[in-house]
Amino acid sequence: MTTRPSDSRWLDGLNLVLLVLAGVIVMTPTAWMVLSSFKPSYEVTAYPPTLVFQPTLENYATLNSQTPFLRYTMNSLIVTVGSTLFGLLLGAPAAFVASWTRITWPAVVTLMARMAPGTLFLLPWYVMFRQVDMIGSYTALILTHAVITLPVVIWVLLPYFDNIPRSIYEAAQVDGCSPFRIFRRIALPLVSSGLAVSAILAFVFSWNFFLFALVLSNSQTKTLIAASFNFIGEGSTNWGGLMAAATIIALPPLILAAVVQRWLISGLTLGAVKG
Amino acid sequence: MNVNREHRGQMAAMSMPALVFTVAMIAFPIIYTIWMSFQTYSSTGQVIGWGGDNYSRMVADDRFWNGIWVTIYLYVLSLVMQLVLGTGLALLLFRARRLPGIMRSLFISPFMMPPVVAGMMWLVILDPSLGAANWILTSLGLPPSSWLASPAIVVPVLAMIDTWQWTPYVALIVLGGLQSLPPSVYEAAEIDGAPRHKVFWRITLPLLLPTLVTAMVLRSVDLLRFFDLIYITTQGGPSDRSMTLNIYGFRIGFEFFQLGYASALMITLSIMVLGAVIALNRLRAAVEW
Repeated sequence: MTTRPSDSRWLDGLNLVLLVLAGVIVMTPTAWMVLSSFKPSYEVTAYPPTLVFQPTLENYATLNSQTPFLRYTMNSLIVTVGSTLFGLLLGAPAAFVASWTRITWPAVVTLMARMAPGTLFLLPWYVMFRQVDMIGSYTALILTHAVITLPVVIWVLLPYFDNIPRSIYEAAQVDGCSPFRIFRRIALPLVSSGLAVSAILAFVFSWNFFLFALVLSNSQTKTLIAASFNFIGEGSTNWGGLMAAATIIALPPLILAAVVQRWLISGLTLGAVKG
Repeated sequence: MNVNREHRGQMAAMSMPALVFTVAMIAFPIIYTIWMSFQTYSSTGQVIGWGGDNYSRMVADDRFWNGIWVTIYLYVLSLVMQLVLGTGLALLLFRARRLPGIMRSLFISPFMMPPVVAGMMWLVILDPSLGAANWILTSLGLPPSSWLASPAIVVPVLAMIDTWQWTPYVALIVLGGLQSLPPSVYEAAEIDGAPRHKVFWRITLPLLLPTLVTAMVLRSVDLLRFFDLIYITTQGGPSDRSMTLNIYGFRIGFEFFQLGYASALMITLSIMVLGAVIALNRLRAAVEW
């Protein structure tokens, strides 16, 4: 470019300053949430807000004693792990077959779940599950959350399976290997990193999903995220507890996201973008 | 390829569970909703007729048109902010070249947290009487704002929260596009002595268009179905000013249990999303190079 070296250095400096500024804007609200969760209850609502305080776990203790927080957490784990396993169990073989036969329209149909509003599915599901008296059951929650996890698993795994050279399959077939054996013994081990990425993304998507549990859970099976409402109701008097709840709900996805950050973008865009 | 019958059977067995699930939980419910949207229910929830009643009610419903307006307003405002800021952030990240892992985690954090959590935390920050945002405003000598409680600015405030959450996502997608551009075009421009802003407008941006349209598709699908954040913070208020079509349909369906009318609203919203995706895919084909 036409710029002189000193000019370019000045621009590099400006670039860094703007980048740090962006980082601060991105980080501050989250940091505020975490800080508030450790403030003594009388100080959370102090005005003007305080920055220096004696950190305490009081809000977390209150949360645990005044709400069935552990139960909600268990429910969230049951639904999230259940739907992730279900998605993997159905999605991995389906992605393998779609990649081998190049028949991808069933995979495209699963994308409808990403395009239609959740309420569109909730209305018929509500009627269906009410008919068989399954509203509030873990089964209903796991099945509906699998609608979130299945497309993630299939679309994250497809490019991994596509990357396996077809000559490997053909050689195995010549040796008399059945498709089922090829899948289990050859293809699956070759896409193990893809399995890990898809499992983590499916977990995060399922954990974060709000709408289905809002309608289909009951007081016994309510997930953390569907219980957020109760915390907000309490939050009008107890911001500390609200921020403690928000921090705990955000923690698993944030930790897992940090683990898979390198593969995150290609996974989140369901293969539309190579990260 | 010569696949014998047994092989074909095994392949079918492997894809069948996913296929059955997709038909039962995704395809059939969509058809069922279309069917319900043509059913007329009595006030007690009994089906009393069949026809276009729900749709004629919709066209005459002011709150439906308000929902369309709020949906589009929120969509356009958020999309424009996220594309402009996201492209800017991507250019900053691209120039910095090496990005420490911790920085990457930092930029990932807003869009990996549940929108519900983002809503909880911004509710506290934007609280009209005790929130940190108004404390900053008043410290700067500016008048305080009622933020999410203000009918006039509730949509821009929601767009701002969503932009905080999703700009880094757009930025990382655009960064991927920047990194895949052939370096030769820059080198040619450098030899020609083209000024920096011209390189951006004439070379970088046109080459980046397919990536930008992809980002638009991905954000459009989420923004037109905007739900979690609104439901947690305002539930469509104050006075319906943030009542998107999705929120309205949900409340009609699950607070008033008018399943037929809610179905009609959701089918309409789905057609809007589908229309946007088709239009943007056409656009992508046009800007592909």
